[in-house]
Amino acid sequence: MKDRIFKGLLYGASLLVLLLCAAMIYSLVSGSWQAFSEFGFFRFLFSPEWDPTLGREQYGAWAFVTGTLYTSFLALLLCIPFSLPVALFTGEYFKKTRLASVVGSIVDLLAGIPSIVYGLWGFYTLCPLMKSWGLSDQGFGVLTSSVVLAIMIIPYASSLSSEFISMVPNELKEGAYSLGATRLEVIRTVVFPVAGSGIFAGYVLALGRALGETMAVTMLIGNTIQIPRALGDTGNTMASVIANQFGEASGLKLSALIGIGLLLFIITALINFLGKLIINRQRGK
Amino acid sequence: MEAGIKKSRWIKDRVFFVVVCFLSSLTAIPLVLILWEVLRKGYRQLNWSFFTEEAPNSLEAMLAVNSGDLIPGGVANGLVGSLLMVLMAIVIAVPVGIFAGIRLSEHPSSRFSSVVRSVAELLQGTPSIVVGLIIYGWVVKPLGTYSGFAGGIALAVLMLPLIIRSTEETLKMLPGSLKEAGLALGASYSTVVLRVLLPSAFGGLFTGILLAVSRVLGETAPLMLTALGASAIEWNVFEPMSALPLQIWEFYNDPNLAGLIWSTSLFLLLLILALNLTAKRIARKWKL
Amino acid sequence: MKTLLKSLVVGMAGLFLLVSCGGKKSGKESLVGAGATFPLPYYNLAFDNYKQAHGVSVNYGAQGSGAGLRSLADQLVDFAGSDAFMSNEEMAAIPAVIHVPTCLGAAVLAYNLPGVDSLRLTAQLLNDIYLGKLTRWADPAIAAVNPGVTLPDIPVYPVYRSDGSGTTYVFSHYMEAVSAEWAEKVGSGKSLKWPVGMAAKGNPGVAGVIKQTEGAIGYMGSEYAFSSKIPMALLQNAAGNFVLPGTESISAAASGNIPDDTRVMITNSEVAGAYPISCLTWMVVYREQAYKDRTIEQARALQDFLAWMVSDTAQSMTVKVHYAPLSEDMAAKAQAQIASMTYNGQPLR
Repeated sequence: MKDRIFKGLLYGASLLVLLLCAAMIYSLVSGSWQAFSEFGFFRFLFSPEWDPTLGREQYGAWAFVTGTLYTSFLALLLCIPFSLPVALFTGEYFKKTRLASVVGSIVDLLAGIPSIVYGLWGFYTLCPLMKSWGLSDQGFGVLTSSVVLAIMIIPYASSLSSEFISMVPNELKEGAYSLGATRLEVIRTVVFPVAGSGIFAGYVLALGRALGETMAVTMLIGNTIQIPRALGDTGNTMASVIANQFGEASGLKLSALIGIGLLLFIITALINFLGKLIINRQRGK
Repeated sequence: MEAGIKKSRWIKDRVFFVVVCFLSSLTAIPLVLILWEVLRKGYRQLNWSFFTEEAPNSLEAMLAVNSGDLIPGGVANGLVGSLLMVLMAIVIAVPVGIFAGIRLSEHPSSRFSSVVRSVAELLQGTPSIVVGLIIYGWVVKPLGTYSGFAGGIALAVLMLPLIIRSTEETLKMLPGSLKEAGLALGASYSTVVLRVLLPSAFGGLFTGILLAVSRVLGETAPLMLTALGASAIEWNVFEPMSALPLQIWEFYNDPNLAGLIWSTSLFLLLLILALNLTAKRIARKWKL
Repeated sequence: MKTLLKSLVVGMAGLFLLVSCGGKKSGKESLVGAGATFPLPYYNLAFDNYKQAHGVSVNYGAQGSGAGLRSLADQLVDFAGSDAFMSNEEMAAIPAVIHVPTCLGAAVLAYNLPGVDSLRLTAQLLNDIYLGKLTRWADPAIAAVNPGVTLPDIPVYPVYRSDGSGTTYVFSHYMEAVSAEWAEKVGSGKSLKWPVGMAAKGNPGVAGVIKQTEGAIGYMGSEYAFSSKIPMALLQNAAGNFVLPGTESISAAASGNIPDDTRVMITNSEVAGAYPISCLTWMVVYREQAYKDRTIEQARALQDFLAWMVSDTAQSMTVKVHYAPLSEDMAAKAQAQIASMTYNGQPLR
């Protein structure tokens, strides 16, 4: 009897999570209905036109979708050369040593910094630097936000990858060593292939984090409504346009903003799904 | 010839090792830079009154800045609000998150579990402002007022996926023999989970909770749409309530109060770092 | 562990119980408002003083005008703060509201030009700068209105607000009034589609970008520009005078034809000493206060508070934090609006 209640409780809690998500989707869909029925789903998604002037209102999400994808993938690219070494450092070279836990802690602390502090730091410190290095005319833009995003997602990428790297069975590695392989060769031929799907999952998680980041990006990307064509260009992301415009929005514009929230939700879901698919395929091999 | 190849392989191996160490150490640089920046600009304001007094008004701050004094007042209203809301979020999100996590780890590959898992990941990727917007519709509107309670729920929704995840990960790492031994001794399923599994996973669970707390402590956008903010210390959770990140936002918008941005950030940062370190400590002590 | 979980579950149940009982509204008086960020520093000061003098605390959330009005429409707050008055269509959608003006401000043009400590601008120049037709500071058109000033030969970088903002609305409303080209190409609104320029979030963002960029010029809230002591341009008003924004030149813009409901834009004023891009900010409340579960005491507390906000006591504080006080004419009309508040159809006093 007691067990039944308990199992019911467990089931109920999981069900609650599903309900929460369903209700969120319902809220987003009903909130954005007006915009989608006005412009049509695909026109809304693919139109780069965003004109909030009353009387000739025109809303399309494409500029923000591209801005989000550019900054997130660029951030992912920038974070790999740092997060992967950290993962190897803590999960392979110095596995289970004090040094590894210190490095791991430092990296995890990066995850604890509030995003508004990242934003302020980027705004006052990084922007002038970017300008003086000639990487960007104004200091703001895609590159600046990607750099800050990259720093923000390093801990997400590295902690999961490190876990999977450390879980690679010793017997496999010893087999390679006994054949005379160096450590680098073991990493390349044994560790990466075995831990590959886990490492990949870590990066999917990190990408998801970058996609939804709001405060820091809003302060750094420049918030111009255009499709960015170069690294130094300013642009806008889906999360930052919501944060920027939400306070003063009403009517159709509000609906369009919620529509962007829904699109972001869908994109995040798609990326998670693709990540899963790739992992499963890898496992199937 | 043979020796040459061997040597070059050895060199490659060494070089790779050095590069890994070098790049790993580079990741500490942003942390140091950010800490230094916030510390340099914020340490002066961190005094006793910073924690015990409410936020100053613009005029007091302006007069103080013009005469070169420290800005009077502090962030007590935000501190109390943040603590209350995080507490509420813990009370709501922890039981639900842990139960859902147990369910996932007990049935790791059932269809239902994999759906729940994906959904939790999806929730984790939802921008926090969207969560705020939804809680506005669900809690603020029906209750008829902005409140700390609504803020607490928004934070709970943000915490939930993190707790589910950490619970599942922790329980997965427990040896299966633990559960089997309990069941073999004739204990009921619920007793085994509550008395055996959870206590032995305590360190990991606690760490997960602390990390989730430090993650939501810095959230601004969802609180603006749910808790609104308040100029005085508020203990009634059904009234509008302030929070530390909300105060940073207010200071950012008022040039007279700009001096407080950094000290509030510094304090928030220190709080979060302390939580993180405690979490690590506990995790190590319970060794999981 | 079990006890810990148990206590958590009990705590959760307790919380929900509290909600269902609706354990709300303790005896103490407090008012809640939400809306515009523009008047925040002044409201901050005024509310603090009101609490000390009358024991009523006022909580204000600076979410933005749009969100504030939405909160009022959803009946979540006692008053909404708004930088733009509600249009007739917007007012038709909710029960009758009144607008109570509380203070004045302006959109000033801040710039960063090394070696230039006084800059004059006309509406035409602003138009050309923001439409991308005027690209260098050494342009003869700028020199023509700035005799005796050596302008550096550097590019012009116009800066605008990226977030939806009342300041953008006031600025574009003025530009629309003075330039047919602007009206056709850009129009007016809280956020716009800009042909050229750099975007920045909030007054701090605009101020930051201008400080960091030589040759930048941008509009921002006067209260922010005055407090942060950024150089700002003189602007030619409708009477042909070049006017520096200041509390007096802003107040001057709010005299003359004020309608009874105070819903008026005071840009491009004809008054000789008026700064042309001046603006009002309002508190919006329901005229009929017996809605939802409001008591007459709450309604009275709100009315007293509004009356205090337009009284001399509060208005004299505006200048201390760099806002401009309401003109007497304006304050009198505001008091008349406040007096028209009712409870179940009866006047509140």
